Amino acid sequence: MTASELAIVGEPDGANGAGPVVRVEGVRKSFGSNLVLDGVDLTVAAGDALVIIGRSGSGKSTLLRCINLLEPIDDGRILLEGDEITGKGVDVSRVRQRVGMVFQQFNLFPHLTAIDNVTLAARKIRKLSREQAERRARELLKTVGLEEKAEQHPHQLSGGQQQRVAIARALMMEPHVMLFDEVTSALDPELVGEVLIVMRDLARTGMTMLVVTHEMQFAREVGDRLVFMDEGRIVEEGVPADVLDNPSDERTRRFLRRTLQLPESLEELTVNEEGVEE
Amino acid sequence: MILATYDLWAFVSDNQEELLDGLLNTLKVSAFAIAGAFVIGLVLGAARAHRIPVVSQLTAIYVEVIRNTPILVQIFFIFYALPQLGIVFDQFTVAWLSVMIWGGAFNSENFRAGFQAVAYRYREAGYALGFAPFSTFLNVTLPIGGRIALPSSINTYISVLKNTSLMYVIGYAELTTTSLNISNLTLQTTESLTMLAVVYLTLVWSLSALIRLLESRLALPESR
Repeated sequence: MTASELAIVGEPDGANGAGPVVRVEGVRKSFGSNLVLDGVDLTVAAGDALVIIGRSGSGKSTLLRCINLLEPIDDGRILLEGDEITGKGVDVSRVRQRVGMVFQQFNLFPHLTAIDNVTLAARKIRKLSREQAERRARELLKTVGLEEKAEQHPHQLSGGQQQRVAIARALMMEPHVMLFDEVTSALDPELVGEVLIVMRDLARTGMTMLVVTHEMQFAREVGDRLVFMDEGRIVEEGVPADVLDNPSDERTRRFLRRTLQLPESLEELTVNEEGVEE
Repeated sequence: MILATYDLWAFVSDNQEELLDGLLNTLKVSAFAIAGAFVIGLVLGAARAHRIPVVSQLTAIYVEVIRNTPILVQIFFIFYALPQLGIVFDQFTVAWLSVMIWGGAFNSENFRAGFQAVAYRYREAGYALGFAPFSTFLNVTLPIGGRIALPSSINTYISVLKNTSLMYVIGYAELTTTSLNISNLTLQTTESLTMLAVVYLTLVWSLSALIRLLESRLALPESR
């Protein structure tokens, strides 16, 4: 896939293109007594790929789900291209049409072929004819390297292939921002690369992306900015290489050490009930 | 002596016009009732799976009442008790209405279970693409959950067809009533019952075969 092939994919409209695509202001969110987001502020500029890292339970997936309005927030606000989307009277479905989302478990519709998965929403919501939709869907499947698999059902595809179809499905709605929620975490190691390559190429087309991931190499090479989250807060933010190589916060250091991203030999480490011994 | 006079073919050919009318009535009542049970099951099953207020609770009561009372009592209630309240139906209406109400209750449970079996992540994928809740139901939950509910709802339709024979108790001239009434006069009880067994067997087999064909075309790909 080349950058120019993907470039037809929707980008922010000129009018709003100047400001940030996503702006998160003081967002709090609890599940029962469990505070998951504790005052998160975040700005994503048009065309940026923002990578979010942190241990599980740090609130990074919840943050993405809040931006797509899959979870209501308790406090604060979220703006999409300048429009507040967390206020009252917002047409939730219309907001989601501008926000593409890819899930850890792919969530392809099991009764539909790959191409029908890609075209369904475009035909039903954007009212494209089947012919128009399929032409565009085949282009997108080609860009993710799966034009030959268009007529296959999800269960006939590998996890990596399913995830690439899911990316094509989200792109079909011409979103202005794409959210990736640990999209390689459920994949066998040898299938991770093909998905990351598709995401890298998408980032190169100028798509605005928020990527929750544990793939540090991806964060380093593709991310424009990197955010480290811990206990519902953004602890550290910066250029990926800076944060990964010279973390300024102790919590970031500890996380990176535990995920073995710092040059550390496995030989020297021991384990306790917390995980890797400090 | 009795065996010597057994003549199934004579029974059928002597009474073929009446029996054919009875068969057509059975088919008509079954078709009405199955179509109705499908719609009732789909709508009320969806309401219960999505916990729509009021409708959901009323459906639960409806299902409990129908499941926990004999269908014969239900038929008698509609035929004898309702007229006392000023609601009078003709025999044909009582016939399809009573089995439709019975089948609808069971079918709403079939569909409820089917819709509830659709993993939330599929609906969430629908929402994320921009489908509104009702469109998500139509485009995601219905096609997936409907397929899951198919085998159990087929069994309900088959029971509906067989239960039309209970209309004997209100004297509606479907196949069973017609055939038994003839044999009461001619004493060809064995012929009558043999004929009924063969015809119902054929009907139910054909219906199952037809629906299994549909099922195999509709089934979720991985279970094919």
